[in-house]
Amino acid sequence: MNGSDPRSRPIIEVKDLRKEYPIGDETVVALKRINLNVSRGEICCIFGTSGSGKSTLLNQLAGMEKPTRGEVRIGGVPISRLSENQLAAFRQRHLGFVFQSYNLLPNLTATENVALPLMFRGVPKAQREAAARKLLTRVGLAHRLDHFPRQMSGGQQQRVGIARAFIARPDVVFADEPTGNLDSKTTVEIMNMICTFARDFHQTIILVTHDPEMAAYAHRIVTLIDGEIVRNEINQKERSPHEA
Amino acid sequence: MKRKDLLRVCLQNLTRRKSRTFLTVLGVLIGCCSIVIMVSLGIGMKEAQDKTLAEMGDLTIITVSAPQGGRGKVKLDDALLRRLKGIPGIAAFTPKRSLEVESISLVAGTGRRYIADWTSVVGVDTGALEQMGYHLTEGTLPKHDNEVLVGQYLAYSFKDTLRPEGHNMIDRWAGNFDDNGKPIDPPPPFFDPLKGPMTMEIETQNGKITLPITPVGAVKEDYSKGSETSEGIMLNMADLRKLMEKTQGGRKKATAYDSVMVKVKSIDQVESVERELKTMGYATESMESIRRPMEKEARQKQLMLGGLGAISLFVAALGITNTMIMSISERTREIGVMKSLGCYVTDIRIMFLSEAGAIGLIGGLIGCVISFVASVVINLVSLGPSVEHLLPAILGGEEVTRVSVIPPWLLLFAIVFSVFIGLGSGYYPANKAVRIPALEAIKTE
Repeated sequence: MNGSDPRSRPIIEVKDLRKEYPIGDETVVALKRINLNVSRGEICCIFGTSGSGKSTLLNQLAGMEKPTRGEVRIGGVPISRLSENQLAAFRQRHLGFVFQSYNLLPNLTATENVALPLMFRGVPKAQREAAARKLLTRVGLAHRLDHFPRQMSGGQQQRVGIARAFIARPDVVFADEPTGNLDSKTTVEIMNMICTFARDFHQTIILVTHDPEMAAYAHRIVTLIDGEIVRNEINQKERSPHEA
Repeated sequence: MKRKDLLRVCLQNLTRRKSRTFLTVLGVLIGCCSIVIMVSLGIGMKEAQDKTLAEMGDLTIITVSAPQGGRGKVKLDDALLRRLKGIPGIAAFTPKRSLEVESISLVAGTGRRYIADWTSVVGVDTGALEQMGYHLTEGTLPKHDNEVLVGQYLAYSFKDTLRPEGHNMIDRWAGNFDDNGKPIDPPPPFFDPLKGPMTMEIETQNGKITLPITPVGAVKEDYSKGSETSEGIMLNMADLRKLMEKTQGGRKKATAYDSVMVKVKSIDQVESVERELKTMGYATESMESIRRPMEKEARQKQLMLGGLGAISLFVAALGITNTMIMSISERTREIGVMKSLGCYVTDIRIMFLSEAGAIGLIGGLIGCVISFVASVVINLVSLGPSVEHLLPAILGGEEVTRVSVIPPWLLLFAIVFSVFIGLGSGYYPANKAVRIPALEAIKTE
């Protein structure tokens, strides 16, 4: 890593990233030329309206799609060039996801859902479910351990989703409109939880949103318009997790 | 992922849509049952056929004779016997020579009470008879000079001279017959030839020759071994030679034996041994010419029945594929989520393949149990439903002919086949599942 201290190097490096989609005979350019660095422990908000390319950028950062040009490195690993299996192994170790629609597996209990990333890694059942219960207790769901998603409210489901994203202690957690389906009170709870985790475990959060309110939680706010970064600024009046 | 976890996930997925899983399993089950029962009927037919053939005679006996009109080098002599020892697949053999005389009679009983006016006398290698597959109904094999074996029904050739003409013989065929045309309950004969000595009386141009003989055993009738096993006398070749020297007054015949009977080790080798004997220049005869076409027909019937059964299992395979595709399209988002959480592609493939395989396995197992019960019921119906028929209906036996026969290999085959059908029909859906991108998790509906 160029001999420099890996701690000082940005955890996410995006270089000259371009993404085009063929639609019929035409080509739509979703991302024009993105250059972005995110440091370890930073909460980075990707802000933009729908169609601005923020979701495409998230997909690129998380290795969900291959770029047309340029590359994405996470912890120095060029994830845009990994094979499907390498990518799966990389996700197990380094990435976590919080989804807008929670995406809990409906036939698994809260504990099983949270333990899922550890199961993919081959951690024995007793061990991974103990870890899951511990984390669920931390997010305030000690009384919902064996409940199925359909038996829980949206806020509760998203808390399970957060526990799942953090259980494997990933370097980077991607949160795609994590409060998009929630009311304002729950939104504050959820955001506080995410920020607390990120701070406690020194984790990097990539928060994608169209809501300016959310951007307030971030250290860095990246604003996208038409596939281009128009602003990349450090948030001066960052809201502390306990303010709310 | 750990194997245990994969198994757990597979079972969880199967149980979450219980009625769909049940119906798909039902399809496999019906397919499996129809294969097993159809094939078992075919095997039952074959078994019944084999029993019929075996009653007609020993299927592994080849009778070797000199070619017609062949006076050349191809002779039935001791040189041939030595060559037979070197042919693989031959278990035993015996030369045969019958006594050719114009008139022969057997006299037995006190005061010449029982007289048979004619019989066939055949010389064999009595030492080889046991290996040849001759069965004795009574007595032992001859060990001393002039000890002989008699055919099973020789007793019926004798007339009782103390009874009036027309009523002095017993008709062996007077009783009832079984399906194969054999008498079931022949009336008892007047006397037992094994009970005492006999005298053989032969008329020749040189006068009458008498030979005292001692029957020591009775041979079970077997037409593939010659009619003497029914109503003749078999004696050792050495005894026959002596007797022939007397009857022919020293004249010698060109050939040493009339025929040679060869016992082949197993039924599958009959054809090759027979071919080898033919290339040596001999004429051969065996039950093979009857058995082959019958076996071919039986195999065709079995294939046809098995094929009918297989069709329904293939239909079931379509059911599995359909179920799997349905469940994958329902779970598209879940698969995307699993991928984005770092589930390996191989694990996803295994998950879906094992689901399909499990449907096949469960259907196969239950299908086998059901077809086994069905087979026993079919047999019980045909044998007559009673408790003492239960065991023969399951295991079969010498004296019962089952309609439906399920050998263990058939069950094993059915289960393995069902699992393969499951895996095969899960292959395409599993590939489909594997190709679902992680991106599906992010799409919002």
